[in-house]
Amino acid sequence: MTPRRWATLGVVLLALGWALGAEAISIAHGIEENHLLDFATGASFFVGGAIALDRRPGNRLGPLMVLNGLSWFCGNYLNLRNGWTQPWLLLGEAAQTGLLAHLVMAYPTGRLATRFERFVCATAYVAPIGAMGLSLLTEDSSICADCPQVPAAYLNFPHAVLAHRFFLVYDHSAWVLVTLFFVVLWLRWWRSTAAARHELAPLWAVAALLVAAYGLGPFASEEQGGFGYLMWELRALLQSAVPWVFVYGLLSTRLAQSAIGGLVLDLQSPVAPGQLRALLARTLADPEVQVAYPMGGGRWVDADGFPVEAESSDQRRRTTLVERDGRPLAALVHDVALDPDLVHATAAAAGMALDNERLQAELRHQLEEVRASRERIVLAGDAERRRVERDLHDGAQQRLLALSLALRTARRQLREGEQSLVADTLERTGQELRSAIDELRELARGIHPTVLSDAGLGPAVAMAAGRVPVPVDVAVGDERYPPPVEATAYFVVSEALANVTKHARASRAGVTITRVGEHLCVEVCDDGRGGADAGHGSGLAGLRDRVLAVGGSLGVESAPGAGTVVRADLPCPGSTP
Amino acid sequence: MDDHAVFRSWAREVLAHEGFDVVGEAEDGETAIRLAAELRPEIVLLDIQLPDQDGFAVARVIGDGAEIVLTSGRAPEDYGRRLAESGHPFVRKVDLDGASLEAALEPRG
Repeated sequence: MTPRRWATLGVVLLALGWALGAEAISIAHGIEENHLLDFATGASFFVGGAIALDRRPGNRLGPLMVLNGLSWFCGNYLNLRNGWTQPWLLLGEAAQTGLLAHLVMAYPTGRLATRFERFVCATAYVAPIGAMGLSLLTEDSSICADCPQVPAAYLNFPHAVLAHRFFLVYDHSAWVLVTLFFVVLWLRWWRSTAAARHELAPLWAVAALLVAAYGLGPFASEEQGGFGYLMWELRALLQSAVPWVFVYGLLSTRLAQSAIGGLVLDLQSPVAPGQLRALLARTLADPEVQVAYPMGGGRWVDADGFPVEAESSDQRRRTTLVERDGRPLAALVHDVALDPDLVHATAAAAGMALDNERLQAELRHQLEEVRASRERIVLAGDAERRRVERDLHDGAQQRLLALSLALRTARRQLREGEQSLVADTLERTGQELRSAIDELRELARGIHPTVLSDAGLGPAVAMAAGRVPVPVDVAVGDERYPPPVEATAYFVVSEALANVTKHARASRAGVTITRVGEHLCVEVCDDGRGGADAGHGSGLAGLRDRVLAVGGSLGVESAPGAGTVVRADLPCPGSTP
Repeated sequence: MDDHAVFRSWAREVLAHEGFDVVGEAEDGETAIRLAAELRPEIVLLDIQLPDQDGFAVARVIGDGAEIVLTSGRAPEDYGRRLAESGHPFVRKVDLDGASLEAALEPRG
């Protein structure tokens, strides 16, 4: 037993003492009523309160139920007719309206959600207590017939007439309070999600019982025998059911947990893709529950591997992270009204199935990534071919076309005997031819640098670095690697250096290529402005696709103002002679 | 009208020696449209591949103001039906001289 449990037990024992004392006084004074029913009704508030205090320590429902029980028995103690305690007992009894309204409106979270709810609740406390207080101060004998010896010390209210009028207004407008109370309940239901309505069901049972009990009021009579007395008993019975509905509501979490047993049984057989979500929805009684799986880097996917958000912008949804051995397994996006213990218990029961589905989702996500990157590689290849065609047409071909016109001019000049001009024309023709050859060589190197296949990465990288307008420190050895590895490494270096030239505004750059075990680590850094975008659609995304295609990985560090580091890790099995 | 300056200068030389009076040169579609309106040439030799817009669009703007002859470094088949639909004669750049230009304009009288 924890100290908290001891304290709860103490409170309940004291409260039961208060209840037994109340019934003893009623019996001693020969009050004719069903003592057992009266005791059971009040005491069930204490038992329910104890369960609430124990199961939901931070929830105000527990204390509220205990206070409801205490208030319930105030009437019995009035039979003592003690002048000093009588007014306080009357006020305690008057508090019952507010306590009961508070209990119903705060169910199941223990908090009043809206300003309107707080207003109605405050009115339910203040109006009856205020009216009772004022009637005591004005010695209205019709209200306080049992308290002939109210001490004069309590009676110093100067505006007795005004107070009496207030009481009359209150007495005739109780129906306003009842109406407001039901408006609150209706609004609660209307705004609620499916899971919350599931939890609100006991509350509606309470409301129905209260309506039925008070509806019987006009027919009920305390006189023994006959229809009226039957209705009186029925009304008492209905009232006594109220606390038990609350106890049921609080215990229904336990009932819901028995649904976890069903979940465990369902999970014995293989779960079809997507079926796990349906099973969780049924167990939690939340048809809209969503399951998200972590893919690293703050990204989440659903069971089909498609990206989803793990945090809902909807105030009525909450995310519960499911972890195993300290690493995130899944996130459940569920109704905010669900009991956290139930969600955690359900997640624990479904742990293995969640892990399986996470692995499947990861696989589907990777397949989708591969499909998308394959498509991007094909598109990039097409774009590259278009670029080569355009370069050939706009560059070398235009020069060759100009050459054909130049040669035609030279032929005409020869025919017309303009020998002196022919030499000049041929000189210009030669220049044009050299330019065409240079452009073709440049284009061919762009498609595949011969130096790479002939001399390897070292000389190829040195040549690429030579074309960058800022100094580049090159640290690349002369070793040879398999052609696909060399080609990818060179592609990384030339693309990263092209970015340095185009975007970085750097004063210096560096290229390092080192072999670590079975991996080739390619690093290109600069001291430029950083802030490179590695997202989809950028040049870096194309680079990533290319690196992923050979089974490598690409990292980009590019904080604004802190330069850029592009690092590729390429698998490099064995060594090539 | 061609975006390649070296080709333009040789074309001017070839055509000038074959009796054409070359009144202006342009390096993009916008300049071509402006000069065609200012200089009112009889013939506009118009490259289809231009940096700002294609020769077909420029030809539509110039309209009936001049006889338009389209040229390109590419083969006429590369343009599919667009060339026939434009209604303008076509001369390959590699064949460009006074004779081919006149031959292209011949059927129109």
